[in-house]
Order: sequence, then C-alpha cells, then structure tokens
Amino acid sequence: MIRARDALLNPLIDENPVTLQVLGICSALAITNSLYSALVMSLALTSVLAYSNVVISMMRRHLPASVRIIVQMTVIASGVIIIDELLQAFAPETAKTLSVFVGLIITNCIVLGRAEAFAAHNRVGISFLDGIGNGMGYSLVLIAVAVIRELFGAGTLMGAEILPTVSNGGWFEPNAMLLLPPSAFFIIGFIIWGIRSWKPEQREQPDFAPLAADELRGD
Amino acid sequence: MDNESPLKAIMVVTATALVCSILVTVTAVSLQPIQRAYRDLERNRHIVGVSGLLEVTDDVPDRQIVMAFQGLDARLVDLDRGVFDDDVNPDTFDARKAASDPEFGVPIPAAQDIAALGRRSRLVTVYVVEDADGLQRIIFPVYGKGMWSMLSGFLALESDLNTIAGITFHEQGETAGIGDRILAPNWQARWRGRKLYDAQDTLRFRIAKAAVDPAAPDAAFEVDGLTGATVTADAVTNLVRYWFGPHGFAKFLDNYSAAGDTR
Repeated sequence: MIRARDALLNPLIDENPVTLQVLGICSALAITNSLYSALVMSLALTSVLAYSNVVISMMRRHLPASVRIIVQMTVIASGVIIIDELLQAFAPETAKTLSVFVGLIITNCIVLGRAEAFAAHNRVGISFLDGIGNGMGYSLVLIAVAVIRELFGAGTLMGAEILPTVSNGGWFEPNAMLLLPPSAFFIIGFIIWGIRSWKPEQREQPDFAPLAADELRGD
Repeated sequence: MDNESPLKAIMVVTATALVCSILVTVTAVSLQPIQRAYRDLERNRHIVGVSGLLEVTDDVPDRQIVMAFQGLDARLVDLDRGVFDDDVNPDTFDARKAASDPEFGVPIPAAQDIAALGRRSRLVTVYVVEDADGLQRIIFPVYGKGMWSMLSGFLALESDLNTIAGITFHEQGETAGIGDRILAPNWQARWRGRKLYDAQDTLRFRIAKAAVDPAAPDAAFEVDGLTGATVTADAVTNLVRYWFGPHGFAKFLDNYSAAGDTR
C-alpha cells in the first residue's frame, strides 16, 4: 500500500518527472520564458494529470489490455480539449501565449506515463494524489526555470520590473539568449546535475563500461 | 465479463468515445458565444487601430475600443457592381462565411485567384471613417492564403483611396520568428504613405525582395521585404493585389473617387 504522503511528495524531488525521468521537456523549453505562462501551464498540466489519473483509475478494472492505451488517450485528450476551450473563453490572452502547448498536453509523456504506470493499478484517491504530486513536480521545475529566464532575460517577474534594465534607464543588461528556448535546455541540465550531485542514487548506471586505457592499446 | 474478450473491448471503447465526445461537444458549444465575443473584440481592436481614431496599445481598455468601433460607419460594398449595398445588415454579415453561400458567394476565376481563395462573397464589410472635414479613411478587409493558414487583416486607405494609412493582421499562422514578423509594429509602420496604384491606375503595390531603395522609381509602391520570409511576403503581396485588383475593390474605388461619394 502506497502512503498518501509519498504519492504526493515523492514526485517533487525524489521521483521528479522532469529531472529524474526527463519527461515533459518540450513544453518546459517552450513556455518558460515568462513566469506567468509557466504558472498557467503548470496549473493546466496538474489539473489534466489529476483528472486523467482519477478517471483512468476508476476504469482500471474494465480496461482490456488490447485497447488500454487508446482508451487512456481518449480520456486525456478530452480533458485537454475541455481545458483548452475554457482557457480560450475565459483567459484568451493566456491561451494565445500558450498557443499549441495546451493542446500538446495530450502528448505530454508525464500524463500517459502516470496513467499507465500508476492510475491503471491503484485506487482512485491515491491516483488523484499521485496526479497532483507529479503535476507539482513538473510545476516546480517549470517555475524554477521560468524565474531564472524571466528575471535574467528580461529583468522582470510576472511582468513587473525587478532589475531595472539599461534600455529603461537602469543598470541591468538582460541576457536575451535566456528568452530563447535553448537556454531552458541548459538550465534544466544544470538543475538535473545539481539534483543528482545532491542525491547520487538518482544517477543512471552507464549503459556501457568505458574501456580501460590498456584495453584500448590493442595488443 | 472477461476483460480480454473482443466484445468487452468494443463496449469499453464505444462507451468511452460516447461519453468523451458528449463532454467535449457540450463544452465547445456552450463556450462558443464567449469565445466569439472575444474574437470579435480582438478583431475590432485591430480595426480601431488602423482607423486613426485612437492610438491602440495593450493598455487601452476594452470599453474604449468598443466605443471607438461603434463610431465607425460599417458599410457593405457590392464588389461586382462597385457600390455600397445597404439592404443587408453589415454588422451581422460575415463575408468569409458568405463566400461558400450560394446566394452571396461567387467563384474566383483561376487566373485572378492569386490569393488562393477559391470563392469570395459578393458583399464585403468596409469601415468608413469620417469626421467634420469629410472622409478620413476607409478600412478594407484583406485575406488570403499564407504560409500555413489563412492570413487576414485590414488595410486602411487615406481619403485619396490610394495612399495606405495602415495595415494590421488579426489572424495569422505564419512561422514564428520568421513570417510572423509581419506583425512587428515598425514593419507595419513602413506601409504608411505607400501607394497602391500609379498615375495610370495600374496596381503597382508589392512587398519588395529586400530593403527598398528610396531612389528607385517603384519605391512609392513598395514595402521593405522580410529576409527569410519570402513565402509570407509573397502571400501578403498577393492578397493585397487580389483585394485591390479588378476582382476585388478596384471597381468600388473607381466609382467612389469618380463620384466623390456614391451615396
């Protein structure tokens, strides 16, 4: 029996979907150039995860193995479409900023991953907590990356000026590269490095043992 | 029932599909009016932006946009006859939808269909900006096939009905960072003062391949090109040339300038 606390808190650092399993990277690169869009995306993904985990857990005893994935995808896709429609109606500006990435939650590996790995075998309540927990783990990384990118890329947080930029008469010269998606790649890389140095048990075993120097010499 | 029997699989899939499709449909249909109202407001923001009545920035409140938009005189133009048509309500008429309606839509002859539209409506809504001194601007809708999807916007002409007063695109799916530079305010600002037709009434407007040499004879009719965005730039050239060509507003513009006023 998995304890509720573990289901909720383990995905934050110990089993973080982004930094340990390296899932959901595409959206983490794309929408982390401002804290606001990262927050909305986090909220959207967390609600989809909680919803899909609950529904799939409810159906788990009636899911034939042969059509399991397609049924899970249908459930997930419907939830995402509904959230996308709600955003377009009530937060159209945000929907525009997130553009296709809300729709792409459907293909976010975290959602199907949790449905398949957890919700399909566990009770509803604990699946819900697992969804929330994994959503928060994803959000944590997204928010950390977005804070770094927006603060040092534009000198603002949530659009409010924190470091007065040179172009606005201040002293801070923003690093425009941080506003481009590749910078998130480096930041996530550094975060993963940091976490795995702190918790060495997260390090992956090398697929192949490097050859020793004398083996390379040949004879 | 056995979970692995084919019948069970079919039942589960059918039930899931049914429930999900009902949920999605109900959400989409019930939220549509709100989404449409927002899209109209967004479109009106663009129209007001090129009307010259109001400096439109992101800070301008919606209420002000709605007020300014209501101050515009929306009129339907009959493209085939080149005159205003006041029998249909311009506020509710949707020219894009009417293009496929047998009553209003007409096929575009292939040779003239440079904006790749296939059909267009006989009637199109334009917005007339007038003040105490008379006609200021007319705002024309323009649309055509872009790089990936329909590219549509509004082009405002000064009262000479030849000089461009402003351009805006409210619907586009051009490549991010390349084609979508057509949205950049400083590029759109370069359209101001360019002319569509020369003294012989030939349509000369186009987006140039590169920066326009101000000394060149065509400089008055050309806007600087966008490096790397050839397809988008050509699409913009073609949609402007279609809508201000013989199958578009040309006849209306001729009539309007000849009569001074066709009302």
